Amino acid sequence: MDNAAILGWTLLWLVVWGAIGGIVTPRIYARKDLDISDAPLGGAIIGAAFGPFGLIPLWIVTPGFSMRWLVAAGMVILGIIAFAFSKAYPTNLCVTDGSYVTSQLANGLVIGIIYSLMALGLTLIFSILGVVSFAHGEFYMIGGYVVYVMSTSVFAQDMSPLVWLLGAAVVTFVLGAIFEVFFLRVMGTGKIERPVEYAILVTFGLSFFLQYLAQAIMGASPVKATRFWDFPVMALPSAENPWFLKTTKGSLTLFEVIRIPNARFTSAILAVILLLALMWFLYRTWQGRGLRAVSQDRQAASVAGINPNNMNTLAFAMGAMLAGLSGASLVQVFSWLPQVGVPAAARSFVIIVLGGMGSLPGAFLGGLIVGVVETMGTGCVPDPSRAAAYMPAYGMIILTLTLLLKPTGLFGREL
Amino acid sequence: MSGRINYVSWGLAALGIILLLLAPLRIADSPYIMHLAITAFFYAILASSWSLLAGYGGQFSFGHMAFMAIGAYTAALYGTYVRISTVATELCREIPFFGRWLVILNPIGVTQDGQTCLDLAKPTMPPGTVIVQPSIWWGVLFGIIMGGLFGILIGALVLRLRSTYLALFTIAFSEILRAVISAELNITRGQSGLELPPLFPNGVTFFGYTFSSTSKIPPYYVMLLFFLFTMAFMAWLIAGRFGLFIRSIREDEEAAAALGVHVVRYKVLLFTITAMIAASAGAIQAHYIGIITPNILLILQMSLVISMAVIGGLESIVAAAIGAIIIEFALELLRVSFDIGPFTVDMTTWRLVFFGLLLMLTLRFFRNGLIHPIILYFTRRGVADETVAKRNVKSEM
Repeated sequence: MDNAAILGWTLLWLVVWGAIGGIVTPRIYARKDLDISDAPLGGAIIGAAFGPFGLIPLWIVTPGFSMRWLVAAGMVILGIIAFAFSKAYPTNLCVTDGSYVTSQLANGLVIGIIYSLMALGLTLIFSILGVVSFAHGEFYMIGGYVVYVMSTSVFAQDMSPLVWLLGAAVVTFVLGAIFEVFFLRVMGTGKIERPVEYAILVTFGLSFFLQYLAQAIMGASPVKATRFWDFPVMALPSAENPWFLKTTKGSLTLFEVIRIPNARFTSAILAVILLLALMWFLYRTWQGRGLRAVSQDRQAASVAGINPNNMNTLAFAMGAMLAGLSGASLVQVFSWLPQVGVPAAARSFVIIVLGGMGSLPGAFLGGLIVGVVETMGTGCVPDPSRAAAYMPAYGMIILTLTLLLKPTGLFGREL
Repeated sequence: MSGRINYVSWGLAALGIILLLLAPLRIADSPYIMHLAITAFFYAILASSWSLLAGYGGQFSFGHMAFMAIGAYTAALYGTYVRISTVATELCREIPFFGRWLVILNPIGVTQDGQTCLDLAKPTMPPGTVIVQPSIWWGVLFGIIMGGLFGILIGALVLRLRSTYLALFTIAFSEILRAVISAELNITRGQSGLELPPLFPNGVTFFGYTFSSTSKIPPYYVMLLFFLFTMAFMAWLIAGRFGLFIRSIREDEEAAAALGVHVVRYKVLLFTITAMIAASAGAIQAHYIGIITPNILLILQMSLVISMAVIGGLESIVAAAIGAIIIEFALELLRVSFDIGPFTVDMTTWRLVFFGLLLMLTLRFFRNGLIHPIILYFTRRGVADETVAKRNVKSEM
């Protein structure tokens, strides 16, 4: 039997039993008058993990689904896929080289943190305004361009990269605030029929406008900013035996196996700092508490003296700013085009649906998951040129599975 | 509605159709304007079917161009890889087909010097073997079917959920389709694109006039008639139960379901129908243009269609179609550059910026679009007043 076919048949087996579990289980639970909200997800996971040997006892006993069991079954699925993969491609780097896998994993987490930052902005907007901003990717793009322009301009190029980031934050914040006041505030007045659809279209219009504005001003050829900071060259514990840490200007190696490029590392550190700052803002300041109050109950919040309109503006502007900042820190990693925001926005959509629309921890966890899946997918799939091109496809698979099995996402509220 | 008003709207429609049918008499000399007109009809089909989906049905899909591309690529793949031969090649994958052989070529990728299995088999085949490309209209048909299949799949997956999910999913779907088509170089030739035969590879003879395969007149009429056909079809749908049902779903899903409308079924049906219309437009346009690349899936294209529908008038397919035709011509006419003091403004890029701004302002201040109110002004003058007046009378009683 052809080796590669092993993986194909295994995946087919998983999908078939997952589908049977996902379709039949809710029916059985419904017939017994049990809660079916988790049944598609639970049935699919257990079906894929154990096949008929798991499904038949499940259908006979019909227990409540506990998180612990589902996570364990999920691990079994991952184990089966990994095992089949190692049998199918015994010479693949992901099978033979443990340090490569660790390195990929670390890189996935690093890039995932930055994805999280962007998705947090989107989920913040959704939790307050109840709409998804389709211009999110364009704020990301603008953040990157602001940093690029400042880093190449005469008067700002000698300043600290932090000033560039601040510039990107201010520009995207102000743009977001202006847009909210002029175009989205009207949603609350009742003058607009079907406000959600209006918001979808008008943010889409904004994304169109901003993309072409960027193209008209910056041109259509790709640009890339220089990296913000060089690492100090270090070797720990000693230069002869740097088993713990070794850095060059452009990259960092931990334990001799995990290699992370400088630009990604600094972007991730920036993202962590910004995440902490965002948490501090949301939980320790009056404005942040106001935001959370509005997201929980608009009427009650306005009774308590919070102006929901101002909170809308603040939320949209902050969401735009978070997207801008993640673009600003990633412009040193990727080359930048006016269209660069589109895949980034699509990825953010995947993340917030996976995490649950409007959930902040969900967006964070979803970002990490998508980051790891994308990196592993790109690193492990046998045909590397094709694997890179398929990068958005991994997110799509996650999105489809989420919509099929648990549309509310990991931490979602009821729809 | 009184009879007089009906005459006005029918008369205007008939006048418009006659003008479009007779237009080639004046513009046939200019291939450029003919090309613009064909492209305008193409966009009019897309914009009006999108307005049926979004304006009437309330389902905001950003995947319309993806369905268009599915139709176009199906037709292109069919045209590139399927041949009919009188003799078996013994090298290719082939299926017996009414006494002949349906030959499926192997993909050779982007290389220029590569030989397909058919090229390799040709020298060994007996003389007199006829190898033909099957009629392109089958490819168009397959494109429509594929568009419908994908429409059912995606509709069934997403339309159970809130409208936001549909928008999110379709935008991601169209991105992914672009990635897949760009990546599968072997089959789709990626960015270099697939070439298609013209609509009438051997020319066409009509009423004694013979048109060559490069003449723009046959494609003009094909696209125009197809455009008129889809408009009539959609108008028929809207006028009947179907239109009533989808509008009730748009206004209030729960209320519609309570009144006996099978909400998900009608949403999926609407989604599939509009996907098939988009796919067929894509297949025909791809044959007319002669080449298809993944760039038709750029979000710009979708933005254009949405802008046309919105600026024309989202809640009327006629307004959306007229909007599309006007905007397509306007965008071409705006390809000029001029100077403001020391700066040269190149309108080829700036026109789209203004266009985006116009889209946002239209949404904000003219929810019915810019064309729709004009149509209403001509066709239903006095109707609105009449209705309001009746309501006032009733409240006084």
